[in-house]
Amino acid sequence: MTISSDEGIPDLRYAEYVLGVLDAQGRDQVEREMAESEAAAAAVERWRRRLLPLAQEIPPESPPAHLWQRIRGELQLVAPGAPEQGARPGVWESLRFWHRFSLVTGALLAAACVAIVALVLRRPAAPPIPYMASTITESGGRVGWTATMDIAKARMIVVPAAPQGVRAGRSPELWLIPHGGKPIAVGVISATSPITIRLAPALLAELGPTAVLAVSVEPRGGSPTGRPTGPVIGQGSIGAAPAGNHAADAATAMLISLPDSALG
Amino acid sequence: MSEHPDETPLLERLLARTGQGDSRAFAQLYEHTSPRLFGLCVRMLRDRHEAEEVLQEVFVTVWRRAGDYDAELAAATTWLVTLTRNKAIDRLRQKRARAPLAIVEDFDTLADEGPGPTADAQASQEYERLRRCLETLEPQDRHSIREAFFSGATYKELADRLQVPLGTMKSRIRRALAQLRTCLET
Repeated sequence: MTISSDEGIPDLRYAEYVLGVLDAQGRDQVEREMAESEAAAAAVERWRRRLLPLAQEIPPESPPAHLWQRIRGELQLVAPGAPEQGARPGVWESLRFWHRFSLVTGALLAAACVAIVALVLRRPAAPPIPYMASTITESGGRVGWTATMDIAKARMIVVPAAPQGVRAGRSPELWLIPHGGKPIAVGVISATSPITIRLAPALLAELGPTAVLAVSVEPRGGSPTGRPTGPVIGQGSIGAAPAGNHAADAATAMLISLPDSALG
Repeated sequence: MSEHPDETPLLERLLARTGQGDSRAFAQLYEHTSPRLFGLCVRMLRDRHEAEEVLQEVFVTVWRRAGDYDAELAAATTWLVTLTRNKAIDRLRQKRARAPLAIVEDFDTLADEGPGPTADAQASQEYERLRRCLETLEPQDRHSIREAFFSGATYKELADRLQVPLGTMKSRIRRALAQLRTCLET
């Protein structure tokens, strides 16, 4: 075979591109050709099919667990860390979680009537905007965090009061526990500063007065497994105010009045 | 990579669902593919910290661009390996611009890793064909192809490392690529 024929040379350049031997300028050039010419794109695709199977010679290596947390964090995803195979875990999974919860904060469970902060913010000439709120209390009834959920904007603002259950070097992580369901990761929060978390549609659907928010203490960066792995140090019910019920909690009202820019 | 007959359709499904914003499918896709892609990053970058950064970039891009994936055009594995290699090569080119000498080390050990056994118990048919065709090449050509593929190095870097003139390096690799094309098409 000849490698200097007129049709051979451009095709080999696509091979060189896929192999990775072209410099940055050469790569840019081929990528421009691919964008402009279907024939070029098809030629590159053929070379990918030919050469990329070589990647199978590289032994797989599991990335460290914190990497998934970082990806999830960067994308502000509320994705479970470890996907389940098979059926949705039901009541037993939930019981196990609650069992551990009760061991850790028995006193708290007994006093589970936390103050439900619920309000409807009224604005002139605008329909009521649905908000939900939760006061997350630590053992002894101390307020750890206040969470306010802005349903229309699909976000939650979690403001620490004076949480004391988080040791240095650990991260508090917030979980949503639907009634009878298992904990869904909401996101890593902070013991010292307010955090705004975007709420995925699947999570929004679970918000309601039968769901509970809980905070567990996790390795820095969040649970490596997508489920609570450390002690649960706080919980709070989620309240939605019926129309006409006015705001009761000054801190929450203040939060809601913050401009968007202050919330990130 | 994972081209087991029963796994490939799964990856395509997961990638398609990721493209629709299904975060659970995205988590499953990560679980199924991240070890292979991370192995690739570590091998190309020779630095675990950088490999982690590149893999993070890869999956952030997967989430944002999975909607562009077209199963008619490419297997999910091809799409993912291409994305990963492109990110790794971009990183290598930047790194070279910052520190031109930093990646010369390690070449000798890398060079002898040779035609290693495939990591998959069930190698794909595509891999088997490629391997057989690589075996038909001159040893130094076969070595140059593997070296180029796994290091992501430019012709210039390969020539420096192997201490051959740039022209020799280019003709060696082009000859090998042309032979591979002929072998794979018959």
